Amino acid sequence: MVDLSVKVGQTELANPVLAASGTFGFGREMARFQDLSRLGGICSKGLTLKPRLGNLAPRVAETSCGMLNSVGLQNPGLAAFLQEELPFMKTLGCRIIANIAGHENDEYLDMCRRLDDSDVDVIELNLSCPNVREGCMLIGSSARLIEELVSAARRVTGKPLWAKLTPNVTSIGETAAAAEAGGADAVVLINTLLGMAIDRRTRRPILRNNTGGLSGPAIKPVALRMVAEARRTIKIPIIGVGGILNGNDALEFMIAGASAVEIGTANMIKPTACQDIISEMASLAETDGVSALRDYIGTLELWNS
Amino acid sequence: MDRQTIEHQSLILANQSVNPQTRILTLDAPLIARTAQPGQFVNLACDRFLRRPIGMMQADPDAGTIKVGIRIQGDGTRWLADRRPGDQLSVLGPLGHGFDFTGVRRVITVGGGTGVFPLFFVQQYCCARQIDSIAVCGYRSRADSILADDYAGLSCRTLFASDCGDMDVAGHAAVALEQLLSGMPAADGTVIMTCGPKIMMQAVAEIAVRYHLPCQVSLEERMACGIGVCLVCACKIKAEGSGQPFTHQRCCVEGPVFPAEVVEWST
Repeated sequence: MVDLSVKVGQTELANPVLAASGTFGFGREMARFQDLSRLGGICSKGLTLKPRLGNLAPRVAETSCGMLNSVGLQNPGLAAFLQEELPFMKTLGCRIIANIAGHENDEYLDMCRRLDDSDVDVIELNLSCPNVREGCMLIGSSARLIEELVSAARRVTGKPLWAKLTPNVTSIGETAAAAEAGGADAVVLINTLLGMAIDRRTRRPILRNNTGGLSGPAIKPVALRMVAEARRTIKIPIIGVGGILNGNDALEFMIAGASAVEIGTANMIKPTACQDIISEMASLAETDGVSALRDYIGTLELWNS
Repeated sequence: MDRQTIEHQSLILANQSVNPQTRILTLDAPLIARTAQPGQFVNLACDRFLRRPIGMMQADPDAGTIKVGIRIQGDGTRWLADRRPGDQLSVLGPLGHGFDFTGVRRVITVGGGTGVFPLFFVQQYCCARQIDSIAVCGYRSRADSILADDYAGLSCRTLFASDCGDMDVAGHAAVALEQLLSGMPAADGTVIMTCGPKIMMQAVAEIAVRYHLPCQVSLEERMACGIGVCLVCACKIKAEGSGQPFTHQRCCVEGPVFPAEVVEWST
């Protein structure tokens, strides 16, 4: 039997597979089809202080090997999450990570304070949503703003803080280092890449929001490179995310330096993707003669230049 | 908790050509056929990245089969239309909230384009339960028609409209509906169910208001997961009294069928 357990800082996970924010709702729909206690954890849909309607449709466009989305953080708001969704999520038997997004620092901090009193296991700071005009990716594009926000959040909550960063930056090493300097327990790499799809006949963008976030296997090489780059820059754990479709993809991220992985777009095409990936990782480890998944973490050997 | 099987590996039993752009696939899917309701859909894997959501046109619980009509609109639907008997497909379903038959005594379906496929399921459902029903179908022309003979083979009354005037009524399906209603005595329990181009469904909904008839519309929106987790298939729904101009509901869970009066038609 392969030991699947990993630790992300102080947070112990039964296995490295987490469902990524925005691809799993609050677990209700997925729980109808599977036993979610088998997952390492679930990241909630991105939460804001007030309920949000999100962007107008169309909100999705298919691309080669992936998709663009522009949901725009449609969610019921933090109060409804705490009252209606979190009690249900806590019955699922896996780690619950609250993904939060704000217009400005005060909104993030207000949410952190309220989550500090809650049963969530981890707070994931969404510094990377490309589909809203304020906060998020604007903060996540600046090392200075990341460090300011993370350190302020650090002061108001004792919960583990993960910073989910955007790939839409010149240097992921710099932004990851800023999150580390601010006191983050881990960084989550990467959110979606900003993109566009065009309808030739109408000469309009397909997405009503004009642009959206690119996800799926199309972005996996970018994500792997960023995880490997950040691994050489920072000491805190990394959670790898970007186009993981199977157990092999997930292990590549662990080799690049990720202690755990998030599965996002794969859930769109296969509702049981997370569970399947866990089984595949275990069986690949057996094939490799590896007795514990954690033994893959950061074992990448770069070629000498 | 009893867990539902959502993903099914279905054998294709038949692939029938309707016209050069349209095919009907018969799938071996006993678990889906057992519970499928008219207006529900399946999300079919294809050679492209995302699945393709397709409304069911028939479910036969005894044979354990479902039928779907595929109109070739791009690469994914072309691949699906090219599948042969013996091929396997990954099918998610049955999905979504279908038509509501509570208290219904007479059904008028109004379909345009591929909307005639899911409404064929409605008509079969009505015929099997002796619910009085009338099918209004709109096409470009007789040559372009879909399922006209199949509708004519059911016990429902039919009224076919074509843009070029070579069928029962000249004009689109809403014109035919208006003509039908103006010459027909009102009957309690009459409901209009419509599926097709948005502009046609909006016209049908307006006619329903004028004739004081309840109307259910099957909306279409670009989808990804089809099971309610990704929120991309947002439909604009009226939200009176909430302080918001409208709200968003999921086409794949709360829909695709909504009461016409809650639909916010503006884009």
